Amino acid sequence: MEPILDRGGPAQPLLAVKGLVKHFPLKGGLLGRTQAVVRAVDNVEFDVLKGETLGIVGESGCGKSTTARLLMRLMDPDAGSMIFDGETVGVNEQAGGLTLRDYRRQVQMVFQDSYASLNPRLPIEETIAFAPRIHGLSSADAVTRARELLAAVGLAPASFARRYPHELSGGQRQRINIARALALRPKLVILDEPVSALDKSVEAQVLNLLVDLKAEFGLTYVFISHDLNVVQYISDRVLVMYLGEVVEMGPVGAIYDRPGHPYTRALLDSRPSMDPAMRRTKPPLTGDPPNPVNPPSGCRFRTRCPYAEDVCAARKPLMADLGGGHIVSCHMASPESGHSLAGKLYEVPPPRADVMGVPA
Amino acid sequence: MSAVLKPPSPTAEVQPLVKLRDLSVTFATRDRTVHAVNGIDLDLAPGEVLCILGESGSGKSVTLRALMKLLPKFARVSGSIEVGGRDVTKMSERQLSNFRGTEVAMIFQEPMTALDPVFTIGRQIAETVQRHEGLSRSAATARALELLELVQIPSAKRRLDAYPHELSGGLRQRAMIAVALACRPKLLLADEPTTALDATVQIQVLLLLRELQERLGMGVIFVTHDLGVAGEIADRVAVMYAGRVVEEGPVAGLMAGPLHPYTQGLLGATVHAGMRGQRLTTIPGAPPTLDVVPTVCAFAPRCSFVHDECLAGVPVLRSPTPGRAARCVLVPDR
Ligand SMILES: Nc1ncnc2c1ncn2[C@@H]1O[C@H](COP(=O)(O)OP(=O)(O)OP(=O)(O)O)[C@@H](O)[C@H]1O
Ligand SMILES: Nc1ncnc2c1ncn2[C@@H]1O[C@H](COP(=O)(O)OP(=O)(O)OP(=O)(O)O)[C@@H](O)[C@H]1O
Ligand code: SF4
Ligand SMILES: [Mg+2]
Ligand SMILES: [Mg+2]
Repeated sequence: MEPILDRGGPAQPLLAVKGLVKHFPLKGGLLGRTQAVVRAVDNVEFDVLKGETLGIVGESGCGKSTTARLLMRLMDPDAGSMIFDGETVGVNEQAGGLTLRDYRRQVQMVFQDSYASLNPRLPIEETIAFAPRIHGLSSADAVTRARELLAAVGLAPASFARRYPHELSGGQRQRINIARALALRPKLVILDEPVSALDKSVEAQVLNLLVDLKAEFGLTYVFISHDLNVVQYISDRVLVMYLGEVVEMGPVGAIYDRPGHPYTRALLDSRPSMDPAMRRTKPPLTGDPPNPVNPPSGCRFRTRCPYAEDVCAARKPLMADLGGGHIVSCHMASPESGHSLAGKLYEVPPPRADVMGVPA
Repeated sequence: MSAVLKPPSPTAEVQPLVKLRDLSVTFATRDRTVHAVNGIDLDLAPGEVLCILGESGSGKSVTLRALMKLLPKFARVSGSIEVGGRDVTKMSERQLSNFRGTEVAMIFQEPMTALDPVFTIGRQIAETVQRHEGLSRSAATARALELLELVQIPSAKRRLDAYPHELSGGLRQRAMIAVALACRPKLLLADEPTTALDATVQIQVLLLLRELQERLGMGVIFVTHDLGVAGEIADRVAVMYAGRVVEEGPVAGLMAGPLHPYTQGLLGATVHAGMRGQRLTTIPGAPPTLDVVPTVCAFAPRCSFVHDECLAGVPVLRSPTPGRAARCVLVPDR
């Protein structure tokens, strides 16, 4: 069971996601009829390039974990397609596709909750060896691989291999989850808030480890987090989600230095300053993100956006290309949109907290 | 805490709002013993905001709960706890129930632990005011409305009739703050109240708390594990490690030049903006389990500066400059 070789060449995206949709019906009433629909993921498109780390940011409920579960095919999308290294996922080989079983070998996931995702009754080396064994590795080889991986994540096999999850700290458990995710030699690892439950001192250890493992095993990451500093630290490109949609995507430098979408600007500006001399007086946004059950028409950010105009309610903005792979979905970015500031995205006041404030 | 830690004040000494001396808390059950807090001295001046910073299990929440005498009966508490000049450890149940609410109030990470799901927000605030201040029903309702406006809940009048579950996360947090402030406490204890909130909502609630604190002149003890939050709201910071305060000082000085190797490690390990491409500094290992009280520097096993003196006993608090102090033998004492 060796790593599957690179097929389409380095320029072909490792994963191309098109028109991904997942709606959850909310059932209620006596007959359990569908009362409303949660538009958790709505027409999401992006590529994951070979060898990169793609960061996904956005607030609670914007659809990050649902996107991750769809990428892992832990559930079926309502619409959309996924092409993995040139092959359509979930279609049989005769039709030129990649079966789910083959796909799942190459894509693995690490969850936030380090405890819930480990079997409490198995010593950790067994947990790590489990999947390789299922996929046909001999017991002895699977255990050897588990021990190699324990060493790779910085846990000496001699003292850790036979421990149970409850005998480990949170940071150690998260290392086990990472080791387990690597056991099938995947190409793509989806990390859903992998450090959010960890203390800062431990978070740094795990982030360093992720950087090392990526180089050592030639991995590609999708890294989901609500910590904007961590995403900036680890990502090559960043995708910003709001209420189930992609509002902006681009190289990490472009997103953090020249954020285009008013939401991205506000989100970045909401970070505590780390400098008591730079305290702000006004929050960049008021109110909470709305519920994804009945998202606003047109631009979903319009109810909180200081620049919203009629056109923002009337029509959904197109994805505008700002160059260099930086795209943004805002009427101000498209010259023809009809917004009074159309084409003047970067002329609106800079993303400063006291400027972005909207009256309550 | 020694007199050196008091900020030099030209006028007469202000009576501290909170005065903890040698506070220790131990949880002993049949299976195990946890020495959660191991001798804390802390002062809080009226109208001051102190952030308690520290990693999981360092004793932050236990310290806050001890201040309100909210710990379970089996917890062994020693040392003295004074709030507004009164000894909390000696209060009767009746005195306590009056004390909680009128003098001290607490807010939490999860607002549903503080809000009652079966009563409307307006009712909960009004009840609190009526109970403690004996106001009439209509006066209490008027106060409830005032409070919802104070915490900047939009359409406050309509929200009086809302049940907690009908509010979004950020509004629920504001409602909890309104309940806590109902009787104008002099001291607000906040246990990670913004940790679960989204970035754009967290900054709103932080700014709200700071504004309310200034307007009402409250003392606040704010527990967090997030340095950025402390930078946004604190006057002073106390860093806890293994149940002790290992460093304290004014927020700007502490963040610009931490004294204790643990605080230095924490600052180095926190991912700041623009650190891309740099190797993160880490603190190796993990905090002690606290089944016994540490008798040497509890940070020693993880400290890269450790030497013999560190293992000779628990380092005392040393103060190199007025207002600053750390429990590390490397810190010069004036
Ligand atoms: N199985 C499900 N059934 C119904 N609704 C769901 C389900 N899973 C997710 N949702 C809803 O879909 C929306 C998106 O959820 P998701 O977990 O993807 O958000 P997220 O961005 O990961 O948020 P967080 O930052 O809180 O983890 C939310 O409104 C959520 O309540
Ligand atoms: N009721 C209790 N019974 C037994 N042990 C307890 C109890 N409450 C707290 N502890 C223990 O006391 C120690 C300190 O806990 P505390 O809740 O103060 O930590 P903390 O600093 O608030 O951490 P966190 O950041 O995770 O909230 C921990 O080891 C905890 O397990
Ligand atoms: S007292 Fe010693 S071991 Fe403890 S932090 Fe200071 S130098 Fe390190
Ligand atoms: Mg999630
Ligand atoms: Mg706590």
